[in-house]
Amino acid sequence: MSFGLEAEGLVRTFGGLRAVSGVSFQLQPGELLTVFGPNGAGKTTLLRMLAGVMRPTSGHVRVGGESADVAGRGWRHRVGVVSHQSLLYAQLTVEENLRFYGRLFGLTDLKTRIPERLESVGLADRARTPVRDLSRGLKQRVALARALLHDPEVVLLDEPYTGLDPHASAVLRKQLSSLKDGRRTVVLVTHNLVQGLELADRVAIQVRGRFASVTDAASLGLAGLDELYHGAVQGSA
Amino acid sequence: MMAYLQFVWAIARKDLLVEFRTHERLTAMGAFTVLVGLLFSFAIDTALVRTQDIAAALIWMTIIFGGLLGMGRTFRMEEQDGALSGILQSPIPLDALYLGKVLANFILLSMMVALVFVVFTAFFRLQFSGSVVALLGVVSLGVLGFVTLTTLFSAMASRSTMGESLLPVLVFPLLIPVVRFGTQATSRLYAGRPIAEVSGDLRLLAVFAIVFTIACAWLFRFVIEE
Repeated sequence: MSFGLEAEGLVRTFGGLRAVSGVSFQLQPGELLTVFGPNGAGKTTLLRMLAGVMRPTSGHVRVGGESADVAGRGWRHRVGVVSHQSLLYAQLTVEENLRFYGRLFGLTDLKTRIPERLESVGLADRARTPVRDLSRGLKQRVALARALLHDPEVVLLDEPYTGLDPHASAVLRKQLSSLKDGRRTVVLVTHNLVQGLELADRVAIQVRGRFASVTDAASLGLAGLDELYHGAVQGSA
Repeated sequence: MMAYLQFVWAIARKDLLVEFRTHERLTAMGAFTVLVGLLFSFAIDTALVRTQDIAAALIWMTIIFGGLLGMGRTFRMEEQDGALSGILQSPIPLDALYLGKVLANFILLSMMVALVFVVFTAFFRLQFSGSVVALLGVVSLGVLGFVTLTTLFSAMASRSTMGESLLPVLVFPLLIPVVRFGTQATSRLYAGRPIAEVSGDLRLLAVFAIVFTIACAWLFRFVIEE
């Protein structure tokens, strides 16, 4: 049986520092895992390995059963990434950015696909606006449209709410909730317990590179998560 | 093959689009070219030195130093807001990313080189009596050799804490063949010598450009991957 996303014994070291230390998990298609952790826990390093941008020191990632090796390119069609950085070119318009990324993914129906994606994030009227003229909140919605342009099965979200005001956060949260369509596998990395718990099916707490705890989100309230989080963080201190 | 070329063109097109919006690199290279031409025109005593004899060396030095100003910033646009990560997450082969960057740099540097010839011809009243086609061949191959190296080393410098200051140290020793054969061939063409006298230089510039394009495209993945 193949999982939507599978990590097996992921380790990444930088010199003597072990940023990610033996992380393993398996997610079914449609599942959303939120990874919480304090600053420096190795969450972003983990996500960069899952995205195939960073080579693990050891361990493997599989997407839909296919080995997601850093050197491999084909499996990248199956993954989309939203980061706290927009990954956009400020000098280009929204449409030019999406067209550029669409070409990198070999998409041929961009004339119809780009307006659809912009419509889905509520930015149909901003296609010709240069990205530098957009607010942080609007940039994140363009980043989401970019990540979903090639309709990936796996979506990786790295602190997507960073720098957003409460209204922009609420709008983005609504957009992200649409990812829970039963088809996509999602990993959300954040240190915000409220935002992370809202969408999660499962939660993991990463401390000092390790998953200190992995549990079903349904059995946890915010208070339970808070207790679990602080217990894990203090336990490793 | 078509898909691969489309990847290369997508990168080059994006780089050119960004450059033609900002004029960041073209302005730096263009201003450098005009100012250097002007300074040389004051610095050289034309009563003692025939500018025609030293024009090729001045032209190639201006191309190398001016070009480095622009090529050194090849990856600066990718550093803003994590754009390079966005490319690395896509299925584009890394050598296609490199070749796209090389193509954009080749076009931008060729624009600067055209300005170099205009400026030096105007300031030094140079007369050209050789083969224009041969000169185009020499310049194109020299520029290609130059951009293949500087694009790779620009990626390396962008990942180093020393940044752009590292670039000349890394790249100058490797540019000796471009300077040597490019200057010699250009000098002979300005002197009106027959093409047969520059065909050896042309062949060596071509070998240099081809070998370094292939080698740098292969090495690029080791520079860019984390």
